[in-house]
Amino acid sequence: MSDSSGIPFNNPGWAGNTGEFQLTEAQVRGDDYVGERPKEGTHPATAATYPYMLADKDPSAPLFEGPYRERWDKIRSRYPDARSALLPTLGLAQELRGYLSPETMEEVARLLDLSPAYVRGVATFYTMYNKRPVGRFLIQVCTNISCNLCGADEVLQAFLNNTGTELGETSEDGLFTVVEAECLAACGFPTCVQINSRYYENVTPKDVPAILERLKTQGE
Amino acid sequence: MSQQPNPQTVTLTIDGRSVTVPKGTTILRAAEMVGIKIPHYCYHPGLSSPAMCRLCLVEVEGWPKLAPSCKTAVAEGQVVHTDSEKARAQRTGVLEFYLVNHPLDCPICDQSGECKLQDYVFAEGRVHGRSREPKRVFGRDDFGGDVLFYGDRCVMCTRCVRFMREVAQDDRLCVVERGSRSVIDTFFEKGLEGSPFAGNIVDICPVGALVSKDFLYKARAWDLDHTPSVCPSCSQGCNISIHTRDNLVQRLKPRENLEVNGWWMCDYGRFNYEWMNRRDRLSVPVVGGKAVGWSEAVNSLAEDLRAAIGQGAVRAVCSPLASNEDMGFLRALVDVLGGGEIYYRSRRAPDEIVLPGYPILARRRDLAPNVRGAELQGMIRVGDDEARGGLDQVASHEGIVLVLGDPLLDQGEDFGGRAAVYVYFGTYPSVAAGRARFVLPITTFAESEGTWINVQGRVQRFWPALRAPGEAWPAWRVLGSMLAALGEGPAPAEAHVAFERVAQRTPALEGISYRDIGTRGVMVREPALVSGD
Repeated sequence: MSDSSGIPFNNPGWAGNTGEFQLTEAQVRGDDYVGERPKEGTHPATAATYPYMLADKDPSAPLFEGPYRERWDKIRSRYPDARSALLPTLGLAQELRGYLSPETMEEVARLLDLSPAYVRGVATFYTMYNKRPVGRFLIQVCTNISCNLCGADEVLQAFLNNTGTELGETSEDGLFTVVEAECLAACGFPTCVQINSRYYENVTPKDVPAILERLKTQGE
Repeated sequence: MSQQPNPQTVTLTIDGRSVTVPKGTTILRAAEMVGIKIPHYCYHPGLSSPAMCRLCLVEVEGWPKLAPSCKTAVAEGQVVHTDSEKARAQRTGVLEFYLVNHPLDCPICDQSGECKLQDYVFAEGRVHGRSREPKRVFGRDDFGGDVLFYGDRCVMCTRCVRFMREVAQDDRLCVVERGSRSVIDTFFEKGLEGSPFAGNIVDICPVGALVSKDFLYKARAWDLDHTPSVCPSCSQGCNISIHTRDNLVQRLKPRENLEVNGWWMCDYGRFNYEWMNRRDRLSVPVVGGKAVGWSEAVNSLAEDLRAAIGQGAVRAVCSPLASNEDMGFLRALVDVLGGGEIYYRSRRAPDEIVLPGYPILARRRDLAPNVRGAELQGMIRVGDDEARGGLDQVASHEGIVLVLGDPLLDQGEDFGGRAAVYVYFGTYPSVAAGRARFVLPITTFAESEGTWINVQGRVQRFWPALRAPGEAWPAWRVLGSMLAALGEGPAPAEAHVAFERVAQRTPALEGISYRDIGTRGVMVREPALVSGD
């Protein structure tokens, strides 16, 4: 087990600690690795799945310009009709703007020649689209059965206490939004918490302050 | 069953009954053909079948699971049980889930009495619910236009969403959220305002989730009498059902006729019914300012007319709302009186409003139901698109002037002032009837039996839904009596006799009888051309 990573909290669920892979945490979580991913998304197959949502979220950013237009064109090229491109387009819009406002839904509808009501129906069906502005870090605590049995409620409460917000609300500094999530498919590592696009596994209430501190200083 | 099986048909057994249906028919439709009604919500014959309500599941022998009958095509030799233990248990279970969040507010719900949830639960639901959880509450939402939405009553069949998407092709409704939070909504505050066909979603809603603001709290469904009729608001002639209570029209609903309107009608026609309830009606025959009985009125009118025959041609005005019977007898009377011209005026809209998903249905330009009937009787269209003007040659005519049904709203007091005989057959008092010696009350279409010819050239019947005020008679009866008094055959006592008499003298209607027309209508032999159609 390498201690060079200097992880400030116990997180055996992180693959780097199992000794199975020779990766440092910096290599897995680090900004270098993330930063290498080109914004234009390279191949069409991955143009919409750019995972880390690094764009500065600007609710009034245009849909879409520059590298985002390039990525959107690639997304469009994957589908024979515009309607099929709705999910990735909404994803791209959210990456850019942080959340899907009614205006954003209307703009996406115009881009794809769909009705705004249809876009709203799709956007509200999926929980991973934010329909309201969220903080810099969206903290999703799994409270489904496995995590719940292992104390997810306490973890959730710890996040709420430490960020000083209500469930579903954003903290005053605009950094944290804490929500409940249904099963995150990490039942082997309860409690699982997803923060933006990353999983934090085996989280206990006492880990919470350190996680928040690290988020503030180092990002995800 | 000794013949070779026809490759185009499939024979199967439903609840012990053998059925032969065309290939590709669904089990639900096949069952309907032998009178077995399988409960369903999401299926509607005019829409796609998403098979999502799970209520129409039936047992098919040899299949491991129940099959959605609205989506499953029949197969040769299939044995279907719609009422087996398994199928019934499934429906009871599904209905219990439907009631988990249902407010059970039937006593204040407009749909009560014609609600499919009520019917199905009454037939097959559990007597007591087992859900102890609090019900989620949405409250109600104004969708704009005529539509009010009660989210808690909704069963999420999405018929309304699919109607707007597939038939109106104006995709304004969607299902928002998912699971128990899912609810029908428009795009935020956008609403249904301005959609010319949105009223249909209230009809197809199987429960009380979508209700009409116009009909809200007006009547209970079981107090309404339903009369088959035809929409009088344009020349499309949508088949409708007039719902009445206490001799008042409460609402109009479309009646299925795949040749004319499918299951739909437009909001313009749907809400244009208040005039049928007008109380300021002509109700007794008036001759020379004095109320008289019908026999006196008919006799003195016949006397006056006989004296006036030969004093120049007759000029008549007829409303395009009049039935073929009325129009035919008016034409016969004019001919007996020495011939002359009959004019009609019809309001015309600038455009047709077509229902994109059922394009044979449109709100037609002519905003009157029997323009084709008028053309068939050789009447001449005059006036502008607001049905005004064009009657100067009648207003100052010196011979016989007959006005049937036209309210003459644009005419002055001196209309017909120079006529030898001026007869006003009307429903409402009119300033322009002031100079008429004979003011004879006639019924509206809603109070009488008759036929109209729609834009397709289809003769369609309507039935009396209301009692006529006072002594008002159908115009054909007045005109028929008049002809009888002038020695032209017996007076027709019934509408079908009147129609047959008119059909005899109208080539396009020859040989057609009331029985042929039925509730679905028949095409005329040679549809008259309508000027400007």
